[in-house]
Amino acid sequence: MTYLIRRLEFFAITLWAALTMNFIIPRVMPGSPAEAMLVRFHGRASPQTIRTIEIALGFHTDESLLQQYGEYLWNMAHLNLGTSLTFFPSSVGKAIMVGLPWTVGLVGLSTVIAFVLGTLVGMLSAWRRGGILDGALPTVFIMVSAFPYFWIALVAILIFSFTLNWFPLGFGYDLHQHIELSWDFIGNAIWHGFLPALTIVITSIGGWILTMRNTMITTLAEDYVKMARAKGLSPVRIMFMYAGRNAILPNLTGFAMSLGFVISGAILVEIVFNYPGLGYMLLQAVNNEDFALMQGLFLLITVAVLVAVLLADFLTALLDPRTRAAD
Amino acid sequence: MSLNLVADQSRVAAPVGSRSRVLGNLARALVSNRKALTGLAVLVIFALVALLAPVIAPYPPQADLFGQILPPSAQHLLGTTGNGQDIFSQLLWGTRQSLVIAILAGAAATVISVIVGVTAAYLGGIPDHVLNLFTDVFLVIPTLPLMIVIAAYARSGGVFVIILVIVITGWSYGARQLRSQALSLRKREFLEAARVRGERNVYIILAEILPNMTSLIVANFLGAAVYAVLAAAGLQFLGLGDPNDLSWGTMLFWAENNGALLAGSPWWAIAPGLCIALLGGAFALVNYAFDEIGNPALRPVRRRRQ
Amino acid sequence: MLLLTACGGSSPAANVQRQAGGTVTIDNESGTTWTCDFNPYNGAVNFLSFGTVYEPLVYDNLLTDKKTPYLASAYSWSSDNKTLTVTIRSGVQWSDGQPFSADDVLFSFQLLKKNSSLDLQSAWSLLSDVQEQGTDKIVFTFQSAAVPDFYQVAAQTPIVPKHIWSTLSDPTAAVPKPVGTGPFTMSDCTPQNIKYLKNPTYWQKGLPYIQEVDYPAFTDNDPANQFLAAGNADWGGQFIPNIQTYYLNKDKTHNHYWFPPIDNINIWINQTRPLLSDKAVRQAMAFGIDRSKVSQNGEYGYEPAGNQTGVLTPTFSSWVDQSQLNKYGYKFDPNKAAQVLQAAGYTKGSDGIYADSSGKRLSFDIISISGYTDWTASLQVVAQNLKSMGIEIKEHDLNQNDYANDLYTGNYQLAYGSLSTSPGPSPFYELRNTLDSQTTADIGQIAGGDYERYKNPSVDALFDQFAASTDSAKQHQLMSQIQKSMLEDVPVIPVTEGVAWYEYSTKSIGGWPTQSDPFSAPAPWNLPDWGVTLIHLYKTS
Repeated sequence: MTYLIRRLEFFAITLWAALTMNFIIPRVMPGSPAEAMLVRFHGRASPQTIRTIEIALGFHTDESLLQQYGEYLWNMAHLNLGTSLTFFPSSVGKAIMVGLPWTVGLVGLSTVIAFVLGTLVGMLSAWRRGGILDGALPTVFIMVSAFPYFWIALVAILIFSFTLNWFPLGFGYDLHQHIELSWDFIGNAIWHGFLPALTIVITSIGGWILTMRNTMITTLAEDYVKMARAKGLSPVRIMFMYAGRNAILPNLTGFAMSLGFVISGAILVEIVFNYPGLGYMLLQAVNNEDFALMQGLFLLITVAVLVAVLLADFLTALLDPRTRAAD
Repeated sequence: MSLNLVADQSRVAAPVGSRSRVLGNLARALVSNRKALTGLAVLVIFALVALLAPVIAPYPPQADLFGQILPPSAQHLLGTTGNGQDIFSQLLWGTRQSLVIAILAGAAATVISVIVGVTAAYLGGIPDHVLNLFTDVFLVIPTLPLMIVIAAYARSGGVFVIILVIVITGWSYGARQLRSQALSLRKREFLEAARVRGERNVYIILAEILPNMTSLIVANFLGAAVYAVLAAAGLQFLGLGDPNDLSWGTMLFWAENNGALLAGSPWWAIAPGLCIALLGGAFALVNYAFDEIGNPALRPVRRRRQ
Repeated sequence: MLLLTACGGSSPAANVQRQAGGTVTIDNESGTTWTCDFNPYNGAVNFLSFGTVYEPLVYDNLLTDKKTPYLASAYSWSSDNKTLTVTIRSGVQWSDGQPFSADDVLFSFQLLKKNSSLDLQSAWSLLSDVQEQGTDKIVFTFQSAAVPDFYQVAAQTPIVPKHIWSTLSDPTAAVPKPVGTGPFTMSDCTPQNIKYLKNPTYWQKGLPYIQEVDYPAFTDNDPANQFLAAGNADWGGQFIPNIQTYYLNKDKTHNHYWFPPIDNINIWINQTRPLLSDKAVRQAMAFGIDRSKVSQNGEYGYEPAGNQTGVLTPTFSSWVDQSQLNKYGYKFDPNKAAQVLQAAGYTKGSDGIYADSSGKRLSFDIISISGYTDWTASLQVVAQNLKSMGIEIKEHDLNQNDYANDLYTGNYQLAYGSLSTSPGPSPFYELRNTLDSQTTADIGQIAGGDYERYKNPSVDALFDQFAASTDSAKQHQLMSQIQKSMLEDVPVIPVTEGVAWYEYSTKSIGGWPTQSDPFSAPAPWNLPDWGVTLIHLYKTS
């Protein structure tokens, strides 16, 4: 019970800290929405015009900071994220909703694939100590993980899309298609997402393999595994149900966090592949000083991480009674 | 991005007397580990290149003395850039900043991790709770976006802003790891003894706890260095560094902006990418070797012939 | 009274039978995915509708200043050149079948008056009144004699349908389903792609030939260039590095490019700052910069070297006062630069940098926009040039908003870049916004032009005289005097010439604008020229 309260406290405080940081950053950093509007009007807008638009964007510069803060928290709580400057006059919520499915689909899916595949390979490699897999894997994946993933992406595009023509150049689906629930569309989306997903999987799978291998080796030396072997249980059962299950527990939080970071991690991949997700949107928001959009995306990322971590924590607690007792 | 995602509590060393002996043992262990040797060799080569860049680079790296986009030749081993600079010379000179970022940012992040993690564990109670929460907050705040925001606003600061950004976003993971190891040390007898002797907290932390955590601290530094290499490359690639700086990340930025891969100077993009991977990989190899040294079970075993 | 007909040079020859059908795919990096807003008065998205869906009264070619009547069938200036009477074309239909009339024109301008944030061309800073005369005429009254301002009002303002826009509660809101008079209608929009279809009831009979236009969204330059180089698009509109290898060699028979200059990329020199207020320092800098090398190293030679008159060549070559340009020279000449400085009392310090008699060094900061790597590369050359001659400049990259704010408010020493206002079809527009102190503001205040705060009443008067004249010879003579001030005072240094990026493939589409037939400004982002380009295009295979 204390454990649960502690985690909820952590959740609340982190959320508050992130929200507050979100509020402060645009206000302490140089540059203002008024400046941003100037660029739109090539310096020819009258002060009245700028004022009208500032109000339309939800900036009330003559309110006290505390008032603004209260209003801001109120708006965030109601998911009223304001109007985006980049996508003016679209609301931030609407802009985000356009990109969200693509980012979650591409980066989310490839993160899950990397984790599942990496964990399985790591488990196998630990189980068959001294095999070819076990001997070569660590070195290979240490090196692969050290490649900048945007660089792998650039090279992959050059080889597989541009030169060999195996995969399409850019975009999330065919230009003439509509987003719909049909096999045709889904197949097309998968085909477009394959190469970006591959670069994410290749560069992130190494970490999962190595951590899983290492925890698995430690777990395999535990008494209960030896017991299970002595009892003559089937090796597959021992590998998955005894050693594997326990070895995977410490990795769950890491996995949850990486899931939460899906949106932010995708920035470079999306830019290189011209993918219609949230990553490039974040870069745009920063470059255009589009604070409303930036705050909306930050809120989304923070909440996603927190929920994922919380879920992982509860799952770990459920599967491993020791955590509940420990600090 | 980080290889050691899991807090590894198996690396608790036995209490030792002197720091020099700890380092001596570590050094011996490293030399006998093949991964560590490979990694160290690469690091030494890069360090030499960085030091000797003025001597071995055939041309001044930024001077636009040559034709644009020349193919590789005896004069220009990797060809020339879109601005008429020698790519090979840029690569050699770029080693300096890339290495400096890795080492400085890695070291600074590690120092903060040690201070926060060990203090939290040693003090316990409310301070621990607060510091731990602080660490957790930094752990879940989205790294890359935060880096982009900071770097974008402090743009003219150049390489030091990049280092600062990496440190701010990179210390929390290590702090968590170090805290859990320090926690397990806290109740050890030799610390009790020191307390009974009436030693001051600072002395106990510096002289008793830290030497026993050397292996994990070094491993942490290596992990942070890998992170720094990749993060700096990503930031500079996005154009958030100073484009007039010379490092592998800025080379990639220029190469990408000049479409190097398709515009006829592929080495402009390929060479710095490979160097980044080699440097990051070298740090990671030594780091992994540390894991193996700390936890002998992880070492490769050779299967007996049947 | 000047009467024009629709059979002018801007319409494709009507007697040639072209095959109808075919698809043109545009490749232009816009930095965002599509929001599917086609409001022609929203500066962020107007490039997606103005020219194809919405049209101006008159099409005025940015490169040749050739005027073709569009929604106006004729127009005339009053004798004092302050009143413009426009006859509205009959027989034009909105794409929803409603007839187009003078009411729509009047409504559009009243809408801009009421909502100044929609008035992208600041038409109402030029106009004092717009009235309907009879059923088919609109009378524009300008605040002062304003012949060149015709461009902003008649050629750059899109006309919208009254029967739809008068019912909108918020004219700044998104317009997802645009209704216009143009050659194309927007048929389908996703975040990734916009599909336009031929308007079957377009008023220029038989046009357009092309059935469909696709406009995919690119968030970054490199993917856009790859898409074009791979042959997936017909019409490109952005910088391509080493275009010979990257694009032309990929399909030698069909891939082409043409980069006509449309504005200057200047070094803006803040005239209010110490040392920079000295003409000798500015002249020395103009002699000390190797513009051809900047053009070659920074821009692959695609953006040609600028000249100190500020008149674009070859686009506006007929306006250049060659004899004065020859007299002043301003060819790259470090020795001459040193002479100018020494004559003005500057001496070279031990660090190789000149200083004035009180020891103040000629060392300046120059602001640029981060991410504009071509500018950074250009400034590297400029800095090397000037350093070897004895002036130090240091580059500071700012994000776009901070850069613009510093530039407009005069918070800089040197700035690299071009005017933020759209260029016009003669050198008048750019030079007025560069030199006329009526466009500027005090330091700290936002200036709409003359960012360098150059103040010369006699030059201001030249612009007023120019604006009041329809006589070409007189305009040329006035332009010569304006050029003299550029050469003598060096208020800004034009370093290279910004171009309309334009790449095209003749593989399946013909009829492209070329240097020898410049019937439109050729970049897909030239407004409303892209609509004119599109009605000339036809399927070849």
